[in-house]
Amino acid sequence: MRKYVALLVGFATLLTACNNNDEPGSIVQDPGSLNLTFENVVIGTSISMNPTSYTNSSNETYTISELKYIISNITLIKSDNTEYIYPVEDSYFLINEDGSKTASLSDIPADTYKGIKFGFGVDPTKYPIESGTLNFIPLAEEAGMLWSWSAGYKFLKFEGNYSSATDPTNETPFRYHVGSHGANLDNYKEITLTLNEFQISSENTASKTIQFDIAKIFDAIHTLSLEEKDDIQVDPVNAPKIAENISTAFSISE
Amino acid sequence: MKITHYFILILLCWSCSSESGDADTIATDDSPMTVTNPLLDFTVPSNFPDATYSIIQNPPTEKGFELGKKLFYDGQLASDGVVSCGFCHIQSFAFTHHTHITSHGVDGQIGTRNAQPLHNLAFMNEFTWDGAATFLDTQPIIPITAEVEMNETVSNVIAKLNADDDYPTLFAEAFGSEGVSADRMFKALSQFMVMMVSANSKYDKLERGEAVTFTDEENAGRAVFDTKCASCHAGTLQTDQSYRNNGLPVDPEFNDIGRERVTGLPSDNRKFKVPSLRNIEITFPYMHDGRLGTLEDVLDFYTDGMEDSPTLDDQFRRPDGTLGLDITPEEKVQLIAFLKTLTDNDFIEDRRFAEF
Repeated sequence: MRKYVALLVGFATLLTACNNNDEPGSIVQDPGSLNLTFENVVIGTSISMNPTSYTNSSNETYTISELKYIISNITLIKSDNTEYIYPVEDSYFLINEDGSKTASLSDIPADTYKGIKFGFGVDPTKYPIESGTLNFIPLAEEAGMLWSWSAGYKFLKFEGNYSSATDPTNETPFRYHVGSHGANLDNYKEITLTLNEFQISSENTASKTIQFDIAKIFDAIHTLSLEEKDDIQVDPVNAPKIAENISTAFSISE
Repeated sequence: MKITHYFILILLCWSCSSESGDADTIATDDSPMTVTNPLLDFTVPSNFPDATYSIIQNPPTEKGFELGKKLFYDGQLASDGVVSCGFCHIQSFAFTHHTHITSHGVDGQIGTRNAQPLHNLAFMNEFTWDGAATFLDTQPIIPITAEVEMNETVSNVIAKLNADDDYPTLFAEAFGSEGVSADRMFKALSQFMVMMVSANSKYDKLERGEAVTFTDEENAGRAVFDTKCASCHAGTLQTDQSYRNNGLPVDPEFNDIGRERVTGLPSDNRKFKVPSLRNIEITFPYMHDGRLGTLEDVLDFYTDGMEDSPTLDDQFRRPDGTLGLDITPEEKVQLIAFLKTLTDNDFIEDRRFAEF
């Protein structure tokens, strides 16, 4: 019986330890909310889907018919550099240019924050261990963000038509699907953005806009030409280049 | 007292789980539900390597296993309500299918690959012929969503399970709180599948020093196997879990590029997972597309049937430039005698895994 009591006490301690997100010594205030909106832009201007066209650095003109990506693992950085990790199981969001572009986060400890970290895609070290990574499957599936023959996620689905500078009348479809390639290669990226300090409290729902610059998909660390390759799916050479480019494509709009 | 221990153990498992909030409910609510859901005993056979599946992260329980089994045999996981996992994975054939070469799915659609046996999955690094699933928990996504298999969406499956008379209760019993979810469905399926340990063949008993002896023919076959097969079919599970091109001519009907589909690497063209040979006697037809019907056909292929291609495994290149392994007709007979020692009748007759 004594053993039983000891175990129960131990269990109670664990419970407390797990639920304690509060800073020691801080005045406990009611938690607040944060709306993170992702604005897809080309060089600072909000994009429009087909028939609006854009030109990339390879002088190729393209229109966008579909633009979706997965954002996950959101962590907020407080002004004292400590971090608040948003519950992982609730931190998977599909950003769809033709649908929802806002990640609504609630129950965030009231505090002053100055930065945000998030993942592009699904972290291979958490997949499928943490429940959120599998519970996101139905939504991702409806959005066409699963490979049809594999068990992983597409992190980015970017499709449209393009024409090259040399043959401007010839419109050809392009398709960029970037995601995990089995255990072989993963294109998950972590992004950290610094913000001006802002408050989250029960009286003050914060709203922040993160811009995603589409032009950088084609041209940032690497330059990609559609004419050279317009169908990048499970591509161990080009998919990592796109993912690296994307890791530079997010910025805060304040 | 033992049950009390289980109860506390389960509570501990939940205390730090992501489903915070549930833990409070369970801690204060003396629910008899948790008491009657003991952990199952998952034991690694003494002649086996360590499990690759993280039993700690998804410990099989009695209710979780039963739920996983019900899901495994439930046609609701398919769009036509008929083609369950167990439709192609039949226990008496070590969870394979015999009458078709490649698997049949809903509406009579025909797949491009042969259903693999299900056994010792807790010891595998990756799943399917090309390693498209890197975790057992995610593997069922592939057959559920493949058009030529169950042709369903995970969303629909969850909706059907939610609307079912029994499942919401079974999920709550298995996981300690209300809620049918994709995560729980896949974890329950895994709980059922990790318990499928096949380790009671004559071969196993000999390895463990139990009271069996190989015949002279079986011993001779084992010696041939060790020199000519075991470099790929390595270890107790008879697979090094690598992907290799064994020289199987491309079937133009399927033009299957193998592991290249997963990695995108031309160097993986025509490579498939080296299969475990456990229960090989009863898992015909053979090869990724089931083109070979008998073990004799398989061995004849390895001596005389290979086709060259840039990714062919070097082990099959003879010094004179021809392809294949050197196995005499007598050795083939011996090899087959040895391979039959890998059949585990206890496993295929184990009532725990049976549909009815």
